[in-house]
Amino acid sequence: MSGEAPHPDREEVAGSSPSTSLRVKVSLLEIASLFCFIGLTSFGGGITAYIRRMVVTQKRWLSDEEFMPGLGLVQLLPGANVVGLSVYIGNHLKGPVGSLVALASLLAPPFVSTCALGFLYFHAGHTADAHAVLAGVTAAACGLMASMVFEAGGEAIKGAFDVVLILITFALVRFAHLHVPTVILIVAPLAIWWHRPRPPKVNPKLKTPDTGGSTPS
Amino acid sequence: MNKTLLQLAGLFSSLSLSAFGGGKVVLPSMHQASVGEYHWMTNQEFVDLFSISMAAPGPSMMVVTLVGLKACLPYGTAIAILGALVATLAMFVPSSILVYFAGNWWDHWKESPWRHSVMNAILPISTGLILAATWIIAKTSIHSLPTAIMGVVALILMLFTKINPVLMMGAAGLISWVFLR
Repeated sequence: MSGEAPHPDREEVAGSSPSTSLRVKVSLLEIASLFCFIGLTSFGGGITAYIRRMVVTQKRWLSDEEFMPGLGLVQLLPGANVVGLSVYIGNHLKGPVGSLVALASLLAPPFVSTCALGFLYFHAGHTADAHAVLAGVTAAACGLMASMVFEAGGEAIKGAFDVVLILITFALVRFAHLHVPTVILIVAPLAIWWHRPRPPKVNPKLKTPDTGGSTPS
Repeated sequence: MNKTLLQLAGLFSSLSLSAFGGGKVVLPSMHQASVGEYHWMTNQEFVDLFSISMAAPGPSMMVVTLVGLKACLPYGTAIAILGALVATLAMFVPSSILVYFAGNWWDHWKESPWRHSVMNAILPISTGLILAATWIIAKTSIHSLPTAIMGVVALILMLFTKINPVLMMGAAGLISWVFLR
C-alpha cells in the first residue's frame, strides 16, 4: 500500500498544475503525523492559511476546489477553524476514520503539554517568582485578545449597524450576565435579518426571496 | 466527583455548539460558570489558566483542559486528568460531529445567498463576544502601570508586526520576572 512514495515536492510535477480531485493515496499515519505537527505548532492567527499551504500546495492531498468549501463550512459552523478543518480534511482523505485520526492527533499532544503546564501551575503557581512571570504573561495575553477584537471588528464592521450589533452583544454579556448561547439566540435573528439577501436597488419593502428549497433538477 | 464531571460535560458541550467564530467567543460563559456558578476556581486562577493556555501549543481553546483539570483537582491527580479529558472532549467533539455531518448537505447550501447573510451576521456577534472576553481578562491582568504598558505593547506588536504570539508571551513573562520580582 504505502510502497510507492509520492514526491510532489517539486513544483511542476507531471505537467498539470493543481488539478481537481487528484485522488491521492494518503495513509492514516501520514494524516496523524501532519495533524500532530499542526496541533503542536498552531497558536491562533493565520493557521488556516498555514494548513492550506501544507495540505494543498505542498502535499497536494486536496485541490483548492476541495479545500475552500471546507474552509467556508468551518467558518460558518461553531468551533475552532483548525479543529473543523482537521475533521473535514480527514474525512475527505480517509472517511470517518480519517476524521477521527486527524482530530485525535491534533488534540492529543497539546492535551498532554497543557496538563503538564497545569500541574506545574498548581504546584508552583503561588510562589513569588511564578506571580512575577504570570503578571507579564497575563498582560501579554490581554494584549493578544485585544488585537483579536481589532481583527474581528475589521472584518465585521461593514456599516453602522454592525457596531450596534457588537455593542448589544457586549452589553448582554457584560451587564445582563447572560450566557453566550442565550446571547446568540437573541442577537443572531436580528443580525441575520439585517444582513438578509437583498435584491440590488429595489424597494426595501419587498419580501426577501425564499431560496431555501432551490434543489437542482 | 460524578457531579463535577457531569457539570463539565454539560457546560462544555453546550458551549461547543455555541462557539461561532472560534472558541474565544465562549470565554465569558466559561468564566461565569467556573468562577461564579460552580466555584471551581478564583477569578485570578481563571485568568492565569487562560493565559497559560494561550502561551502553550494547541488550538485556541485548550483552556477547557485546564478548567477540567482544576475542577477535579480536589479529587486527586487521576480524577483531575479524567476531568481534563471530559472537558476537552465535551468542547471539541460536538462541534466536530456537526462539521462532519454538515459536509453532506453543504454542497446544496453553499451557493445560497443566505450563506453570506449568516456569515455577515456571525462576525459582529463574535466580535462583541471577544470584546467581552477581553474585558474579563483585562480587569484582572491589567492592575498596575507596568502591566498596562506590557498589555499595550503586546497589542501593538500583535497588530503591526508578525511576531509569534508564543514568543511574545514568553518574553513578557521573562521581562516581568526580571523587573517585578
